Amino acid sequence: MRGAAGRGPDVPRIEDVSEVTRQSWLNFPVFEHQDAPFVRPTRPLREARVALVTTAGVHLRGDRPFASSDQTFRVIPSSSPAMAIVQSHSSIGFDRTAFMRDVNISFPVDRLRELRDAGEIGSFAPDFYSFMGGSRAPRVMERETGPEVARRLLADGVEVVLLTPT
Amino acid sequence: MLARVFEEAGLSTTALALIRDHAERARPPRALFVPFPLGFALGRPDDPPFQHRVLRAAFDLLAVESGPVLADFAEGTDAPVEVLQASEALAASALAASSSGRATPVESETLGPADEVTALRGYYEQWLADHDGRTVVGLTGIAQRRWRGLIRYLEGYAAGSPPWYAELPPDLPLARFLRYAADDLKAFYFEARMARRPDQVDNELQRWFWTETAMGDLLTRVASRMAAGGDAEMALYAKGIAR
Repeated sequence: MRGAAGRGPDVPRIEDVSEVTRQSWLNFPVFEHQDAPFVRPTRPLREARVALVTTAGVHLRGDRPFASSDQTFRVIPSSSPAMAIVQSHSSIGFDRTAFMRDVNISFPVDRLRELRDAGEIGSFAPDFYSFMGGSRAPRVMERETGPEVARRLLADGVEVVLLTPT
Repeated sequence: MLARVFEEAGLSTTALALIRDHAERARPPRALFVPFPLGFALGRPDDPPFQHRVLRAAFDLLAVESGPVLADFAEGTDAPVEVLQASEALAASALAASSSGRATPVESETLGPADEVTALRGYYEQWLADHDGRTVVGLTGIAQRRWRGLIRYLEGYAAGSPPWYAELPPDLPLARFLRYAADDLKAFYFEARMARRPDQVDNELQRWFWTETAMGDLLTRVASRMAAGGDAEMALYAKGIAR
């Protein structure tokens, strides 16, 4: 199995899922790389401006829901209350009741606010962003909408981005 | 992939990863593998201390001097690995019925989906009251007091003769409207059920919805009708309603 080397005995998941799911994960077209661009933050987190970007397919209630294979993004002001946020991810391969119980399970706005208020995070960008992950050919996200969000984050003075899936 | 795009633009990123195999192949600059089921990126709903530990572990990767770095979060959860799908729930229910010689009691034998919604309304309002008004209902924008008309439309659609329906958005493909309507109805049911039976979690809720409610039955029929028409987009969206 590709990628199995080095996995410790405490790490479950791909061994635990059904054969159908395992094959879908293993056959999923990931852009494969050996190395990565790596930008070291210049300031400690307690001084840094942070943004949350998710691929959980969430957005403000009333904003345009995501469509299948949608590679556009939605803006979610970082001051948005959890109750304003809904999810229209096209996959039903995950349990939505977790998000119904608690937005923070994939879009941790309240948790980040708490860390900021405790002084562990410097400040927030005015806007957070949401994409919908799971596209099998996310070329538009890689070449257009992803770089567009990067430009917006840089313009807002962001240094650190937390990325969350669903 | 987004992590690499952002890092190439000059941002420092740290990412939660739910599928370790994908993180190993894609090598994002900094990733924390979290051994939780899909849908549970922060591990445990309504557990702020646990979620703080996940976030701190992800932010700790910012101090690593070179990358890419893939770390493992040490704590697990007891949520089921995979979400139960409609076909699996219905097959298990049918098997149990055939072996016991009697059918599962189904609310649909007494109530249709519209009356079922009315019967669940009090529990849904309890959910709202318990969660500061928070709900994930709200993709179609159709007011809940007009859901009886929506349900009548879905019943007609499932039966192959959709009635005229004033609230069909003119600028939205029907497949997507059906999906968003299904998501809103499911959210109402699950939130109502979680208020009524807080002891039930995860796949117990899925099993209840697909095998014991008239709405689960209606959405299963809507998805079947969508998949049967030979329209690729309809078939694609049908899989997002029930499969």
